[in-house]
Amino acid sequence: MKTRFLTTSAVLAMTTALAAPALAADCPIKIGGLAPLSAPGSVTGGEAMRAAMRIAVDEINEAGGVLGCPVELVVVDTEGLPERGRAVMERLITQDNVVAVGGGYHSSVGLASKGIANDAGIPVVFAETWNDNITADQQRFIFRLAPLSSEVAAIYANFAVSAPGVEKVVIIAENTDYGLPASDMTRQGLEEAGISTTIYTVDIGTQDFSGIIQRIRADRPDMIIQVLTGEAAYNFTQQAAEAGIGPGDLIMTCDQNALESAAFWQNVPDGNLCFMNRIGLPVAAYTERTTAFEAAYVAATGKDAAESYAMEAYDSIMVIAQAINEAGSTDGDAIVDALEAISYDGVLGTITFPINSSNTPEQAGVEAKWWHQFPDPAITVVQYQVTGQSSVDAPVVYPQVYQTGEPIWANQ
Amino acid sequence: MEYSLFFWSVMGWMVIWGAIGGSLIRHAYFMRDLDVTDARRVGVAVGAATGPFGLIPLYLKTPKLTRVWKIAPWLGVLGLFLLTFALSDPGNVCVSSGSFLTSQIANGLIMGTIYGLMALGLALIFSIIGIVSFSHGEFYMIGGMVVYYVTAVLLPGWNPLLAVMMACALTFCVGALFERAFLTPIYDGRVERPIEYSILVTFGLAFFLQYLVQGLGGANPVKADAFIELPRWRFPEDGSIIATSRANITLFDTIFVSTPRLMAAVVSILALLALIWFLFRTWWGKALRAVAQDRQAAAVTGIDPRIMNMLAFGLGCMLAGLAGAVLVQAFSWLPQTGAIPALRSFVIIVLGGLGSLPGAFIGGIMMGMIEAAGAGCIPDPTRAAAYLPAYGMVVLTLVLLLKPTGLFGRKA
Amino acid sequence: MIRALPNTLGALGVAFLLAFPLLYAAGNYDYVMHLWITAFFYAILASSWALLAGYGGQFSFGRMAFMALGAYSAGLLDNYVVLSSAPTGTCAEFGLFGGWLVFINPTGVSTSAVNCLQAARAAWPEGVSTSRLPLIVSILIGAGVGGGFGWLIGTLVLRLRAAYLALFTVGFSEILRAVISAEVWITRGQAGLPMSPIFPDGITLFGTYFASNAKLPVYYVMLGLFLLTLLVLILLARSRIGLFLRALREDEDAAEALGVDTVKYKRTVFVVTAMIAATAGAVQGHYVGIITPNTLILLQMALVIAMAVIGGLENIVAAAVGAIIISFGLEFLRNDFVILGQSVDMSTWRLVFFGLLLMLTLRFLRNGVIHGGLLWLERRAVGAETVAKRRAGAEGSQ
Repeated sequence: MKTRFLTTSAVLAMTTALAAPALAADCPIKIGGLAPLSAPGSVTGGEAMRAAMRIAVDEINEAGGVLGCPVELVVVDTEGLPERGRAVMERLITQDNVVAVGGGYHSSVGLASKGIANDAGIPVVFAETWNDNITADQQRFIFRLAPLSSEVAAIYANFAVSAPGVEKVVIIAENTDYGLPASDMTRQGLEEAGISTTIYTVDIGTQDFSGIIQRIRADRPDMIIQVLTGEAAYNFTQQAAEAGIGPGDLIMTCDQNALESAAFWQNVPDGNLCFMNRIGLPVAAYTERTTAFEAAYVAATGKDAAESYAMEAYDSIMVIAQAINEAGSTDGDAIVDALEAISYDGVLGTITFPINSSNTPEQAGVEAKWWHQFPDPAITVVQYQVTGQSSVDAPVVYPQVYQTGEPIWANQ
Repeated sequence: MEYSLFFWSVMGWMVIWGAIGGSLIRHAYFMRDLDVTDARRVGVAVGAATGPFGLIPLYLKTPKLTRVWKIAPWLGVLGLFLLTFALSDPGNVCVSSGSFLTSQIANGLIMGTIYGLMALGLALIFSIIGIVSFSHGEFYMIGGMVVYYVTAVLLPGWNPLLAVMMACALTFCVGALFERAFLTPIYDGRVERPIEYSILVTFGLAFFLQYLVQGLGGANPVKADAFIELPRWRFPEDGSIIATSRANITLFDTIFVSTPRLMAAVVSILALLALIWFLFRTWWGKALRAVAQDRQAAAVTGIDPRIMNMLAFGLGCMLAGLAGAVLVQAFSWLPQTGAIPALRSFVIIVLGGLGSLPGAFIGGIMMGMIEAAGAGCIPDPTRAAAYLPAYGMVVLTLVLLLKPTGLFGRKA
Repeated sequence: MIRALPNTLGALGVAFLLAFPLLYAAGNYDYVMHLWITAFFYAILASSWALLAGYGGQFSFGRMAFMALGAYSAGLLDNYVVLSSAPTGTCAEFGLFGGWLVFINPTGVSTSAVNCLQAARAAWPEGVSTSRLPLIVSILIGAGVGGGFGWLIGTLVLRLRAAYLALFTVGFSEILRAVISAEVWITRGQAGLPMSPIFPDGITLFGTYFASNAKLPVYYVMLGLFLLTLLVLILLARSRIGLFLRALREDEDAAEALGVDTVKYKRTVFVVTAMIAATAGAVQGHYVGIITPNTLILLQMALVIAMAVIGGLENIVAAAVGAIIISFGLEFLRNDFVILGQSVDMSTWRLVFFGLLLMLTLRFLRNGVIHGGLLWLERRAVGAETVAKRRAGAEGSQ
């Protein structure tokens, strides 16, 4: 008798303890944020996104919150693992009761977790997941601010074509679902232009690239394109420079995280003349919001500029907040309807989702990947031209529309 | 395609005749009441290298298996393998380019020296205390972190060698303290299974140290400045014999050596000489070796084994720390950096024979060469670098199949 | 009274676990169920490792490798083998029980390639049905693959000294991770291999329909597997093999001299526990819906080992309970907290404390926290009985 009583009360106690948060009122409104905060995820990117999302929520709350409620941000650690991504998405929805989710860094995590949110009817605005398939299957609750991997690949290919004397290109890619499709699409673009291309694939944890670098050197390429993230990109660039095929010796594009100037110059002292792709408005075209966000971000993190993914993460939260306001409700369907009609002046420019349920890809005559996709995140190529330069001061060299400086071709 | 068919059929031929040779020759020696300890291995090697042409005379004659018999057939196997490789893939850069090959060998030797130094620490610990430390990689990581924090944050402008010494001192102290606090129960029979206990407890230490460093310093990649920056120098004028740039030395226009790595190898060799001097010329070193040979007898002559245990563990950790301290100027450093080098050290000490000091060092150099060959010569560029962590394991599996005690192991 | 406590607690615990999904009704139901399912998964791995290490004295670091072998075998079958009611004409296929066993050509991670089944579907008439292999078949094949590799590794290193096994299995995990990451064309590498749910069309239990993503059926599947694992492990530990194992652990040379075929028994246990891990991996893979090579990183293995050690290596049930408690604990410790105005990022620091706890448990509580606690209870019980007997004796003599 006594034991049964004990068990029952234990169950009851547990139930109430675990149920307590679920029973809370609709205020505050909770928004989830996905970010990789521990290895094997890209912690640098995750921490930057978390800082940016926190700034967004602080600004929203200072301006009086959403629908009269304060907003609470629940950042979860995806660890860069797809299976973990599914678990945390489930947690955000069923435990934290978020009304929408922003952020997201690794494509694999996004691909694995988006179905759960879509099934639960919780809108997700992905910030930094490039894989085309995030939007290509046209799920109702999935939106994206980051550029499509295929578009970035096209920019790279066109850039290579525009560079002087490039006949042979080596692509070094990480074997992830960011690196593999991106390198493949870049190669297609290059080969269409008659440029021969070899792809070298490496494990993401690779530290010592010397063997591969010697091989690349023996290939005598005119240009090296990196599709690497994290410290692997730093290691590769510096070791290539030490072997005489660095950015100072031939045309080399470094990956996005080269934009973190302080870390880049510490890890790659010989990285001058590297080209980098940059997502988001070029510095010369900054709006008031961009400048304001950058100031807040620099003050919060002590970095010297905001990275692309920080801007995207910030906008992903802000656009959700505005959609909730416009929808006048936290209902998933209402938010999606608001997002489809939204025009939000953000850090990345004016964000819209023109290909949506009232203007489907078939109707618009575009590929399915443009579904719920922010159509023009400006993709530019910038170049470090002085050792130790801040990425903010690095001139935009491609495409011509945004150009603020002439490229320096290392092979000339 | 037909080339790769040729390669694999020769490999198949070698495996089949190796297997036949192993059982046949052992059988021959066994039937004639001869020493069979090495018969199987010699049979495998002769079979693989010469097929039936060497096996039949060996089976009929059954000569006394001298040192020549134990080594020469293996060189034959290696030669046949290399020849087949060269014939089957004549366009491979490893075959066609002598300068590439020499560069790879030089790089393999340099990295191998450092691998050897690190593995030496593990072998030293095993030879004295009889345990395998699973926290070896973390001491490597800490060595590098200390050099980075000292040279870049705490005392910029100081001589980096001072920072290396501080790294050695710190890793020695942490190792010695840990040994006193956690390993003492294994000496007096307070734990039932000392080997297993020590594996688990050092595993816990690895976990603790790795996340402690991440918690204190964050997970962003860091890197120390190169110890030496070479001036630009050419000899003779056109640089055909030696040419240096900031981070690179080119010899005869063919061999490219990165200066940070060369510096690391030079310091490693100096450390190795110091260690040999210490082990063979000082009382403490002799006492250590005495304990390794016979613990009881050493205790009788007045050597306190407890102090020797502490000294051995501290020295072993210090060698790992030293390897990290000299490599932090060549690689970007993270709290997770130690995992792969630790794994490599495990492979090396098993390869060399657990507890054999010369075996560990030679195993290290072999490992450097194997990785250089794998990364440089595997034809498929999408696999060559991706399999980097696996090459050593393949060789290790072969060695364990044929000689379970490793190349220089003393007893089974 | 106190002596019977462990068994009473055990029975109560099982009853509690069986009833929990029916009684619990809070809004975060799915989340709590998910935590339980994950906890059972770790408990299976930790308890089978406890048998291997605690009873068998074999410190293998390959638990996660066998788990991944099981999961990937099941996942590859799930993705590339289909039962179809009509031949495709384009794929490799065999007739089987009136249907067709179709092998689909892998298309890697490229976004546009069409595999032979999709191509055939376009040409098929209405009414052709396809289904995956029965779940039990793919899980059994997964277990078989895990067991096969266990046998190979056991044959290779079990006759060597203890340290070899630990070192070799660490290396084996790493080689497997490298292979899975590099052979993208079939494993999809870091992108992860998608796996269908355990009950792809949902399931009806006692008149209630559960959708394919419902937690309750999976909860009972995993709980069933967990209890079955415990049963197998306990039977194994109490059998002749268990006896021999303990003999081996205490003194291998003596056991060998007495005619125990040491390698054979060691290998049997090695293979059995490898199969258990592979089965758990296959089920967990189907539940999570995706499997990636990152499950093989040393951190995951470290978790399993630490769970078993903190629970108590010498006691299978204690190891399992330790795993459940720690997997819940680690999840709840994820939340950051603010101390002295500084926000502490718990996702890192919880692992620091975890490492420290592992070291301190090993050093000072050699029997683990839970098994140690049980031993302490037992000693108290014996003490109390002795006192009671003595007192009774003293009263009787008066």
